[in-house]
Amino acid sequence: MLETLGAKTIEDLADMGRFGRFAWRSIVASGWSIARVTTYPLIWAQMNIIGVHSVPVVMITGAFVGMILAVMAYDQLAGMGLEEHLGVLINVSVVKELGPVLTAVMLAGRVGGALTAELGTMNVTEQIDAVRSMGTDPVRYLAVPRLLACLLLTPILIIYADLLGVLGGYFIGVIQFGINNQAYWKFSAYGVDLWDVAVGVIKGFFFGTAIAIISCYKGFTCKEGAEGVGQACTEAFVASFISILALDFGLAVIFKAIYNTFWPLKSLVG
Amino acid sequence: MVKAEDNKGTAEGNGNGVIVVKNLTKRFGNNIVLDNITLSIEKGKTTVVIGPSGCGKTVLIKNFIVLLRPNSGEIYFKDKRIDNLPDRELNKVRTHYGFLFQGGALFDSFNVAENIMFPITQHSRITDWRQAEDIVNAKLAMVGLDGFQNYYPAKLSGGQRKRVALARAIALNPEVILYDEPTTGLDPIRADIINELILKLQRELGVTTVVVTHDMTSAYKIADRIIMLHNGKIIADGDAEHIRNHPHPQVQQFINGQASEDDLAVLRASSDIAKAQFLPRDFEE
Repeated sequence: MLETLGAKTIEDLADMGRFGRFAWRSIVASGWSIARVTTYPLIWAQMNIIGVHSVPVVMITGAFVGMILAVMAYDQLAGMGLEEHLGVLINVSVVKELGPVLTAVMLAGRVGGALTAELGTMNVTEQIDAVRSMGTDPVRYLAVPRLLACLLLTPILIIYADLLGVLGGYFIGVIQFGINNQAYWKFSAYGVDLWDVAVGVIKGFFFGTAIAIISCYKGFTCKEGAEGVGQACTEAFVASFISILALDFGLAVIFKAIYNTFWPLKSLVG
Repeated sequence: MVKAEDNKGTAEGNGNGVIVVKNLTKRFGNNIVLDNITLSIEKGKTTVVIGPSGCGKTVLIKNFIVLLRPNSGEIYFKDKRIDNLPDRELNKVRTHYGFLFQGGALFDSFNVAENIMFPITQHSRITDWRQAEDIVNAKLAMVGLDGFQNYYPAKLSGGQRKRVALARAIALNPEVILYDEPTTGLDPIRADIINELILKLQRELGVTTVVVTHDMTSAYKIADRIIMLHNGKIIADGDAEHIRNHPHPQVQQFINGQASEDDLAVLRASSDIAKAQFLPRDFEE
């Protein structure tokens, strides 16, 4: 049993090392690719698949998040006579946390799953080996355009989700529950800083990078057969999901420290 | 016993070797697939590697182009050691090779012309689109598929797919073409078309050819030299006549397509088990 545990630990560590190497190669190759105009068509194509096609689902996610928050929070706030503050609660939650995280989770499922399945199928049908055999680096040709598309478009998709989240909250709060329109927006503007929006959008760069690297890695290393591709997709989603949550926690701590360093009194005064 | 003249194309003994492999060992976990292989592939000739499924034939030619890196040993291409090169330099070396994969490995999302265009756009300095198209058309004509430019791989038959893959493999005018099971899965007529194509390309382009196969009809037709692998080792090496008359029992079994007594004994035992499992009472209500 000890031998099995040891072997499993060594294999997991080796896999982490391979992943680290793959991530490093992808990031370095991305840096080179940005400087080369010849790779732009590949990046555009991936941006269309990854970004444009994800807009509707991300907008729907954002709208429902805003609406659900409004429904859940209205009664508590109305009980204390604070229903006009509903906008602050919804909008801060949406732009800072729920918008970015749920958009990223949605992308991990929709985009990450598709990336892993596509690259995994290419791997098991030797198409990745074919790219390599023709003297082209598959990381540069296949992983980098996907990574750059995810990196650049996840923050933009988060903005779409935020926008629809805010509108969703407004629809339920003002149109359905009859909160005063002016008061709703006044408190919202008072409580939501540009910093809050920026934090959510910046998180998107990290989430997009994590989703792309994990999904591409799982596709590149997928085991043979339909079962192998299916397993790789599942592992990619689980790993992306956990990474999103871990990154969200880490970034929240870092951004809080930055905020407290540069605006130490604002939280007390504000 | 392997005869003294076997392995005559070793690295030390053959100065005309375009690919030279010295003491190559490749393992997957504890499974040794290639065990201390030393051989040299002669320039301009067709070398056929035969052997039973799973004996390491594909692994061997993937090592030739360093798609797999050996656990130990050395691989040379035109006197330059390549197995220890970084990927960036290795990619330049790989442009001298053409590789035909067993299933063709055509890119599903590209049509035939785009598949063949891929290596050209990646490596050649051609900027004129029409010139690149002319090359694609010429390569397709060489494999007898001119007019199929706009077809997608899913619409092609197995044989056509392999011919397109071959056109892609020769797009950069390689010095060496490696074929992985080129006739597997094809009917005898389509298989013969592929054999003729291999001979034609070898004749017209003067390329060095390495073919991995277990199709003996194909091997006898195209080979200048046949190498047989068994349990990760070379057990026979020579021309077609030499292989036909080789005394090694594994070689004779393979070229005559006969199962060994041990394999048959396993089958007989398993058929007894099957009978025992399906006694009539099993089907009674």
